[in-house]
Amino acid sequence: MIDISADILALVTTLKMAAVTTVILLLIGTPLAWYLAKWQSRFKVFFEAIVALPLVLPPTVLGFYLLLAFSPTSLPGELWQSATGSQLAFSFSAIVIGSVLYSLPFVVQPLQKAFEQLGDHHLEAAAMLGAGPIDRFFSIVFPLTKASFITATVLGFAHTVGEFGVVLMIGGNIPGETRVLSIALFDHVEAFNYANAHILSAGLLIASLLLLSLVYLLGNNLNSNLNKKQRVTKL
Amino acid sequence: MSLSTLPNNSPTLNNAISTLSLDFTVSFSQFETAIKQNISIDNITGIYGDSGSGKSTLLRVIAGLEKQAKGQVSFNEVTLQNSEKRDFVKAESRNIGLVFQDSRLFPHLSVYENLAYGAKRRKNPKLTIEEVLTLTQLTSLQYQNVSQLSGGEKQRVSIARALLAEPKLLLLDEPFSALDKTTKSQMLTFLKTIQQQLQLPMLYVSHSLSELQYIAEQLVVVSAGKISHVAPIHQAIHYLNNRGETSVKTSLSLTIAEHLPEYGLTRLKFNELQSTEQSIYLPLLALNSQRSDEESLIGQQLPCMIYARDISLCLTEPEHSSIVNHLPATITAIDYNNTNALITLKCAEQVFYAQISLWSAIRMALVVNANIYLQFKANAVHSYHYTGSITHA
Repeated sequence: MIDISADILALVTTLKMAAVTTVILLLIGTPLAWYLAKWQSRFKVFFEAIVALPLVLPPTVLGFYLLLAFSPTSLPGELWQSATGSQLAFSFSAIVIGSVLYSLPFVVQPLQKAFEQLGDHHLEAAAMLGAGPIDRFFSIVFPLTKASFITATVLGFAHTVGEFGVVLMIGGNIPGETRVLSIALFDHVEAFNYANAHILSAGLLIASLLLLSLVYLLGNNLNSNLNKKQRVTKL
Repeated sequence: MSLSTLPNNSPTLNNAISTLSLDFTVSFSQFETAIKQNISIDNITGIYGDSGSGKSTLLRVIAGLEKQAKGQVSFNEVTLQNSEKRDFVKAESRNIGLVFQDSRLFPHLSVYENLAYGAKRRKNPKLTIEEVLTLTQLTSLQYQNVSQLSGGEKQRVSIARALLAEPKLLLLDEPFSALDKTTKSQMLTFLKTIQQQLQLPMLYVSHSLSELQYIAEQLVVVSAGKISHVAPIHQAIHYLNNRGETSVKTSLSLTIAEHLPEYGLTRLKFNELQSTEQSIYLPLLALNSQRSDEESLIGQQLPCMIYARDISLCLTEPEHSSIVNHLPATITAIDYNNTNALITLKCAEQVFYAQISLWSAIRMALVVNANIYLQFKANAVHSYHYTGSITHA
């Protein structure tokens, strides 16, 4: 009989980490994407490069620097410890912070592209009708870029679920705290526990496939709705 | 450069005369717009200029969409921006409406919801959405998706949406330039009616003089980033004639006197200021409308244009001609150029321009102060007034 209770705990930790990370990513990624889309400066490319860095950097590099930063002897780690009373490295908070940085481009890039495509035309029209900036965001920007928000949310969530290197470096392997599915899978393989490894691998594979299919399905539906509208206009 | 001389004593809510005080510069990489002018806006004031002359920039500064503009802008003595004092009233707080050339309707909202967008955010609602739907004849389209509308319908929604925000001033940036001629004349007639009903001051930007001639009472001429002329519409068009920038035309307003359906003509008379009893005929205006509509047009002022190339001259009264319009006139100026002569004439107080060949000018031995007859066909009298049923439905 295969014991999967530890794996279920890892699943819960993973979902919790991915959910918290996605919420934080949307909260900080939306304004960041907005400023990158609207900002006109030579320095913009530099910030775009920073956001895109996790796409090319080995996750262990990011993990290594975060590990140094999170240790109680460095300033960020020390500040965290004095503010919360607990150590930052090898905690749930640490893997959330790591995941936020690591999944940032998956949320910022689709939103930035959507905001750039949206342009200023409708926003100017809304301003002339008396709508302030926050009002304009919720009444115009969000409804017109909804598809990109869905894409950003799903990609941010799925990528966080699938992350390994950063969590390994800064999270350690604490059950219920930092032991996520990808780490649990690695442990099973190391212990030649292939039955459990199969369950986790196949589960992650199918779940990721379903999530991505959902993204493309939503994208196609929105596009074909737009096409339908355009066809009607031409008639 | 002349300032508009329209009086502006204590503007009240129902008074359509408002004052714009402008003194600003906006610089783009290669182009600077520098405007220093007070403009009294009486009903509809037109802004004319070539593309790239800075007329749209002028409108965007007034709207509050050009934050980098330096200097100051005020409307009815309320400061909208003053870069020295670091004052800047945001576009959404200026209570100024702007109708864009490309309508910019919100694609995720229906016609009704687009109208409600402006209505929801205004301070002291006076108009209801239903009233504006009726006024703009959009009631039957209110549940439609905006992407299903035609160009003219889109602009009507755009105007209705702007009206429902109940602005103190409405700016229109080439709103009908993408429309075909019939739709355009419908929309112009419609906009004029709305302006008269709501008494809302409007600034109307266009590069088409004939459009502006029909709709505006005053013209602001913008060229190379500066205001070069402000004058009542007919004077401004005659000023542009003299600058040689447009095809020369006579611009005048006449009073609709009677319709003569049996002859297919409408008779116009000069107004009192022009002090002549003469009539001018043009093709019947009230062709498709009901009897009551025909009557309602009588007594109204109609802006008309006659191209100088369409007016010919005659030494004696041309009584035996198919050309219906002939008026006695006195020559006030003759300008010769390479191929033709431009004759300026006065019929009572009204100026006319006639362009004739050099050969004719020499053969007829025309001299200044000579009394002569000018003649033109009914078809040569152009007006944008829409005669179909939609605007009177």
